[in-house]
Amino acid sequence: MSDVERSPGERSGHWGVVLVAWVLVGVPLLWGVWNTLLKAAALFE
Amino acid sequence: MAGLLSKERIVARPGFNRWLVPPAALAIHLSIGQAYAFSVFKLPLTKVLGITAPAAADWKQTELAWIFTIAIVFLGLSAAVFGRWMEHAGPRKSGVVAACCWGLGFLISAVGIRAHNIWLLYLGYGVLGGCGLGIGYITPVSTLIKWFPDRRGMATGMAIMGFGGGAMIASPLSQLLLDHYKSPTSVGVGQAFITLGVIYLGAMLCGAFMFRIPAPGWRPAGWVPPPATDRGLITRRHVHVDQAIRTVPFYLLWTVLFLNVTAGIGILEQASPMIQEMFKGMVKPSAAAGFVGLLSLFNMAGRFGWSSLSDRLGRKVTYGVFFTLGPLLYIALPYSGHIRSVALFVICAALIITMYGGGFATVPAYLSDLFGTQYVGAIHGRLLTAWSAAGVAGPVLVNYIREYQIERGIPATQAYNVTMYLMAGLLVLGFFANLAVRPVPDRFFMSDEDLARDRGPLGATAKA
Repeated sequence: MSDVERSPGERSGHWGVVLVAWVLVGVPLLWGVWNTLLKAAALFE
Repeated sequence: MAGLLSKERIVARPGFNRWLVPPAALAIHLSIGQAYAFSVFKLPLTKVLGITAPAAADWKQTELAWIFTIAIVFLGLSAAVFGRWMEHAGPRKSGVVAACCWGLGFLISAVGIRAHNIWLLYLGYGVLGGCGLGIGYITPVSTLIKWFPDRRGMATGMAIMGFGGGAMIASPLSQLLLDHYKSPTSVGVGQAFITLGVIYLGAMLCGAFMFRIPAPGWRPAGWVPPPATDRGLITRRHVHVDQAIRTVPFYLLWTVLFLNVTAGIGILEQASPMIQEMFKGMVKPSAAAGFVGLLSLFNMAGRFGWSSLSDRLGRKVTYGVFFTLGPLLYIALPYSGHIRSVALFVICAALIITMYGGGFATVPAYLSDLFGTQYVGAIHGRLLTAWSAAGVAGPVLVNYIREYQIERGIPATQAYNVTMYLMAGLLVLGFFANLAVRPVPDRFFMSDEDLARDRGPLGATAKA
């Protein structure tokens, strides 16, 4: 048996796993960007 | 059987989707990017004993400032010292170490807050957290460069963009936690540290365990490396980290990064007071805070945008743009104050900050073009000492020159003018340093035998 691990990206539906991974990091990032945009809006008031 | 964290265990099988690596890298960089939001805790940390107002025995701002300074110094030191180990150990092991350092740093600091012992904060967030920052910063960058030889700039830009974005998450999240844990007997900062430590430990461990490395000799389907003769600055061979630091291009790139960061940090550090003083009566404190937020967005956008563009323009041309456009923009800043145009000031500062972020994100790709990918993480780690040096030089230059100007009777609205001209001058120096970058001489490259020996069992597999 090989010691090399099988990763989620090697199973069928590769792009589905990739999408989930991107959503997991993307949602907090977008939340942070949104909050910063709200703060930045004060400059234009 | 190879250990759970070993490099041999995470060699990707054929068919692995390389687009799974950037989110793993982002999980780490978004976590360590919290460092840029540390200032959220500064005020609560001065009221740990007094709760509503600082008590006599509470920590002073000057004592607390050392926590962040120590962390940034240890970021540079650990990246330089552990870079070579990271290349040998592989991204999973180094990612786990970074996660433990960063997460434990928060937990030790929480103990320090509970015991009201500042030395535990220096040790926890400063030393241990700083090591987590340094190892965590270079680990994903090195891995991504190996997965995206066709789009090195874009790949490293994605990860380094996460470092900028991490502060945008950490700042409101920390405020939410402080509000949640605040009580009549506590400012809630210790509990917030514990929560953040656990969250970041979990996120970084997920990222580290998602990492895979390409098998030696792997390349993206349909991609053919550009012939070495086409672009002299892109090599297909590899330079050992110990040899890289003996080359002139390494020191030229160190200078390029140092000057670019010094100039950018000068603006970032003083953004809020600068816009208020230059446009007295026109910009309120709330608008100045908005300006800082806007700069952080442009900082993040520049990291991804410029580094992606560098895949098309080439790294040398991209830095050439920074060092040509940058001085003009710095000169335009005092002019915007002279004509009282806040809009011009904001546009120029935002563009400058995109190039500051772009400089950070493009440099790993520049290094891999010149020195190859085998030791790019370790070489990048040593180059990051330029960041630590610029972190001291930038703010010192801006603050001291401003104070000197005010002492000489210059009005506050014009006190930054000399600094801006000086920053423009630094960028002109950077232009010449970048112009002097030439391909690494042949004698510094590793032979095929050295490379196979260095890669160990992985290299043997590739040969077989």
